[in-house]
Amino acid sequence: MSQEDRTAQAGPLTGYRVLDFGWVLAGALPGMVLADMGAEVMKVETRQRMDYMRLGRPIIGDKPDPEQHPLFHNVNRGKLSIALNTTKPEAIDLIKALVAHCDVVIENFSPGVMDRLGIGYDVISGIKPEIIMASISSNGQTGPLRDLRAYAPSIGALAGLDSTMGYEGERPLGLKHAYADIAGALHSVFAIVSALHQKKQTGRGQYIDVSMLRATVVTMGAGLMEYEMTGRVMGPKGNHDPVMAPYGNYPCQGDDDWVSIAVRTEEEWQGLKTAMGSPSWCEKEQFASRYSRLGNRRELDENLSTWTRERTAGDITELLQSHGVAAIPVMGAEDRLFNPHFQERGLYSDIDHPALGTEPIYNIMWNLDRTPPSIRRHAPLLGEHNQQIFGGLLGIDKEEIARLEEQEVLW
Amino acid sequence: MTYSVLQGLRVVELGESASAPYCAKLLADMGAEVVKIERPGVGDQAREYGPFLKDQPHHERSGLFLYLNTNKQGVTLDLETPTGKEILGGLLAQSQVFVHNLHPTEMDRLGLGYDSLKAHNDQLVMASITPFGLTGPYRNYKAYDINLAAAGGICEGLGSPDREPLTFGTSEVGYFAAMAAASSIVIALLAGGGQHIDIAEVEAMSGIYNGPEALMAVYEWRMTRRTGHHALDFPYPNCILRCKDGYIFVGSPEGRQWRTLLEVMGNPEWAKEDRFRNRTTMNNEYADEVDGYMEEWLLQRTKAELLALALEHRLPLAPVRDFGEVRNDESLADLFAAIDRPDTGPIAFAGPPYVLSGQEVRPPQPAPLLGQHNADIYCDWLGYTKEELVKLYQTGII
Repeated sequence: MSQEDRTAQAGPLTGYRVLDFGWVLAGALPGMVLADMGAEVMKVETRQRMDYMRLGRPIIGDKPDPEQHPLFHNVNRGKLSIALNTTKPEAIDLIKALVAHCDVVIENFSPGVMDRLGIGYDVISGIKPEIIMASISSNGQTGPLRDLRAYAPSIGALAGLDSTMGYEGERPLGLKHAYADIAGALHSVFAIVSALHQKKQTGRGQYIDVSMLRATVVTMGAGLMEYEMTGRVMGPKGNHDPVMAPYGNYPCQGDDDWVSIAVRTEEEWQGLKTAMGSPSWCEKEQFASRYSRLGNRRELDENLSTWTRERTAGDITELLQSHGVAAIPVMGAEDRLFNPHFQERGLYSDIDHPALGTEPIYNIMWNLDRTPPSIRRHAPLLGEHNQQIFGGLLGIDKEEIARLEEQEVLW
Repeated sequence: MTYSVLQGLRVVELGESASAPYCAKLLADMGAEVVKIERPGVGDQAREYGPFLKDQPHHERSGLFLYLNTNKQGVTLDLETPTGKEILGGLLAQSQVFVHNLHPTEMDRLGLGYDSLKAHNDQLVMASITPFGLTGPYRNYKAYDINLAAAGGICEGLGSPDREPLTFGTSEVGYFAAMAAASSIVIALLAGGGQHIDIAEVEAMSGIYNGPEALMAVYEWRMTRRTGHHALDFPYPNCILRCKDGYIFVGSPEGRQWRTLLEVMGNPEWAKEDRFRNRTTMNNEYADEVDGYMEEWLLQRTKAELLALALEHRLPLAPVRDFGEVRNDESLADLFAAIDRPDTGPIAFAGPPYVLSGQEVRPPQPAPLLGQHNADIYCDWLGYTKEELVKLYQTGII
């Protein structure tokens, strides 16, 4: 499908309009999802303090260029960009004018910033009572940790996530992904669309306070309950599962080639044995039951590794899956980009970006069959839609827009 | 805490382990009425996972099951039988949403595809959460959490060089698939219902979680590699280090944060060396050495002292907390609610991670006992008589 067709096609949220102050990752993602679903999402940003995701080394040339950041291109696709310098009073007036046209406002500034700018929920709901406003922050809008400077890894540490992340019995290594950003953003999306559902039924608006710390903690069911039920705390766990063995990433023939294998049931163990050609070590007493395999998992892993080392991850996957055993290679980013399964399902779309040309941008893969999401346009250039929004939506004439640009209000 | 945002929404869940159950829990905690279907006599396999209260194994005392199924009603139903399928049809006819995590091969075998189920309710929103999705060459592949993490890109960069790639410390992929499914369900309802949603657990990782990595790889931009507790191409520090009573995350993405941190540390001599001028170089080439200098200072201080310094000087330091410390954090006290239940007594469970202003809230209800609400649902919703209910039980249907 061409990009023009994609843009024209209605999505499940077509007709909703979002004023999106979200930046960096946690704040940018909810608007991205809503845009893929068809909502008109206006990203409010400024040269005065650029979204961090516009900073960093350029891909082409050696001058800093806000239009060249690959992460920005991914997580802001589908949005429109308006440049508004919130240090100018006129910019705040324009924001208030825009609020009247919107259904949702999203922001993830430090707690208190929106109030200080004069566009907190009190003001915004005064303009439009049925508005839904979501504030996403590290530790919530209230409480002793509210003003802690925190990033995704800080929250992984505070939430308990990192305490189990490392080789068994060794130091915690930490999870080097933006887990907390994503958990925070996804819970935000759910709260926002639930509030939209309620608004549709009853007409009421809603303020939503999402803490990334809390959004991470609630996904730690096994660890939280271990403490709650037994009083024990978990430490770094390696790839050990409490009920499954074998369970791990096993070395394969190639260079840094690994296959993940997990066996839960007796039937799967028999499948694994048969697939391996029933080697004699399988018959040892210490591997005779689920219980004994769990207890002797290190020896089990060593034996299984001698078999996996002789084969490629791809061959092992095919062989084991054909015997009903869960196995799949440890994949890198390029493996996924070129993988036939992900290609058939459309994990990536080629999107043309004015600064860098055609790029593989991921789809969210929330496949609604009748009204599928889609990437409607490339990530916007900074202020690309000033004319469209301030001229088209607010009806401000060209000369006035030029003056606002000149005076660094639209900036 | 249970909100009433989705009041009036009826949801049927056929779920095991984490993904479909957490999806339905999100909906239930928002106020939807959720009926969870379990296999007669056996139930959700999370009932055998534990952890068990005081280490006494019992299918009504599994912590993971109890957590993921609060606020739901529970029925038992044998879907291997035509009568069981007929009863499912009756439930769906009176509901707006069906969420399940049957494997695609099981959907095929039981005849529980969307086309056959929508015969009971053409406005039904059905969400199928499966390991690799309902289409594509891996459709019928099996997978557990580590496999989904491995294919989804969690493992490749986690761990030390020359050692095996690591996965999450506890199973997490299901939660991400659940969040995708729950939002998709509500979005489908907003668009008018009558949709089938295909959520692949692996794509909860390879999509929103890890999707940008393809473009990063194309541009060789901050590639993830197994480099122990350090990540490449970030300005130092961005890692977990030792302190007096455990570990602390130390970050400083902004230059002024690093300068403040050095000031708080008393502007040590080593930091003035020329080779540490560029912090990304410091991270990529000298991280182990600098860890030593940093830890010399950190080891004199406790996690609590370092957190106080972080708050005072606006520094991104964060203690690595275990689950006991998380649970006992007073600022999180209102996240947890004690729920009483016959088999366990009061146990605290985490509720929704958002605070909604002005909404009516109700105290949360405990996870159902196996088949606890059979009479309520089958007699009151579907109109079976008490005699028929007994027969359904005696013949193993429920």
